[in-house]
Amino acid sequence: MKQLIMGNEAVARGALRAGLGFFAAYPITPASEIMHYLAEKEGEIEFVHAEDEIASIHMAIGASLAGLKAMTSTSGPGMSLKQEGIGLAQMMEVPLVVVDVQRVGPSTGMPTLPSQGDVLQAKHGSHGDYLALVFYPASVEECYRYTIEAFNAAEESRSPVILLLDGFLAHLSETVDLRRIRFSLKKRSLAPLGTGNRHFTGLLSKEGIPNTDDSQYYRQWYARVKNKMLSVADKYAFYEYWKNPQATTLLIAFGITARVIRPLKDRYAIFRPIRLFPVLAGPLKEIAAPYQRVVVVEMSDGQYAGEVQRVLQREVISLPVLGGEIHLQEIKEALNAI
Amino acid sequence: MQYKDFVKWSRWPTTWCGGCAIGIVFKQVIFSLERMGLAQNELTVVSGIGCSGRAAGYFNVDSVHVTHGRALPVAEGIKRGNPHLKVLVFSGDGDLVGIGGNHLIHTARRNVDLTVICINNQTYGMTGGQMAPTTLKGTKTLTSPHGNRYHPLNIQGLITSNHNYFYARSSAYHINHLQKVIREAFAWPGFAFIEVVAYCIENFGRRLGYRFGYEMLLKIKGIYKINRSPKERLKENELGVLIK
Repeated sequence: MKQLIMGNEAVARGALRAGLGFFAAYPITPASEIMHYLAEKEGEIEFVHAEDEIASIHMAIGASLAGLKAMTSTSGPGMSLKQEGIGLAQMMEVPLVVVDVQRVGPSTGMPTLPSQGDVLQAKHGSHGDYLALVFYPASVEECYRYTIEAFNAAEESRSPVILLLDGFLAHLSETVDLRRIRFSLKKRSLAPLGTGNRHFTGLLSKEGIPNTDDSQYYRQWYARVKNKMLSVADKYAFYEYWKNPQATTLLIAFGITARVIRPLKDRYAIFRPIRLFPVLAGPLKEIAAPYQRVVVVEMSDGQYAGEVQRVLQREVISLPVLGGEIHLQEIKEALNAI
Repeated sequence: MQYKDFVKWSRWPTTWCGGCAIGIVFKQVIFSLERMGLAQNELTVVSGIGCSGRAAGYFNVDSVHVTHGRALPVAEGIKRGNPHLKVLVFSGDGDLVGIGGNHLIHTARRNVDLTVICINNQTYGMTGGQMAPTTLKGTKTLTSPHGNRYHPLNIQGLITSNHNYFYARSSAYHINHLQKVIREAFAWPGFAFIEVVAYCIENFGRRLGYRFGYEMLLKIKGIYKINRSPKERLKENELGVLIK
């Protein structure tokens, strides 16, 4: 049965389908519809309208430790506040899904026009070194599908997986038949609290015992966690590629920007990463090789272009679409001017 | 389980200084756990950051040591995730009342079924002895070298402003009272907050002229009196329990 569904609703329904047991959040446009949908499910799931963004992610961490699949959702200003909890979940290796529906920043910015300016915040917003798994859908159907995949990846990696959306995508309504979508579900990977004498801590620790002044051990620990994240990421290497043998330029875009530039596929090749981080280095290097130019079109001032350039080790042109508006004609003209 | 079984001996010795009050309180907690007959899989302990925040790791149960000020939301998530678990929050005044103050207001308002032990030593001990929201007016600390200009936060007033509450004040000296209060707090079907009047000798007391921890303990003995049937408010020098 086809239904008209909004991006945010698809995220909420995807989470429920993945086995969501706990949700906490704080109201923020353009993410609040996720919260509204799940508030209706109170009783079936544990739902908390928390006092703030920091509380909501920490509650989700607690609920995940206690045995429930947990999620929180927010937008850029809230994402900045949640970074503390994201770091804690990385250090304690707690499965969790964090949804960030991006809007123009910094600070309160342009409430609440869409943006893609949280890309680096999603990768590296919390302090210290860690690898984040970040997914970015581009349709309502994908909002559903990749919310489920985010939960699976969270269980497999035991980490806080980030699902990025933009205000356009979150408020986009499309007809979708959710029953048609095929997926597998990962079971809980962490034994719940109350089953032993384990110690979870934000400190560097060895089998639950803090080990905070051993540099050699830190290096071993970091190598293990990094390998873990990279090997799990390999299983979630989602992307889309429109090959174009006539083209000399490869466009890279994600989320709503990829939707907007799709009509350009007759003239350019287009690569759309769905797993934004870790950057899809393997496929990207191979795909970009034959093209003379690589252009990243994004609603930020080159945040992802810098990441792509780092991986490709060659010049990457940034085409920023700023200020919360996106027009195909403008992008076409900017491409012609390159 | 015997009280010794609630201690994670592999973590010994603790990080706490000789003469510190936190060890005294920790001991009263494990005595209480034995007396209540709790099993290992019935309890989890959550702490924030600070000297008191290290307590979670010394309990021989599943325990969580979280970011600064966030013990309460993590504990609430755990309780909602598994309502059968007894959840004990053991942390300090800087963590629970200072940086975690907003969570304290709202966890108490939601009346989440948690037992909270707040070691009030009136300072940030782990970071060297700075002024806390609980530091008395006039006290000299690293961040109030000319004397604290502000009055301390009224924790009793904050907790008892709610529709339902369990607020207790006890001390590191009055250990029988403290044990009794801990058992009552665990039995209370809602948010139970125990403010334990404690002290910090190394990074607070010494600057104020105390030489040993027990001098600070005797000071507490001299000031505080137990009120077994308080009316609406505990006076500044009273220990007791207020419930509604």
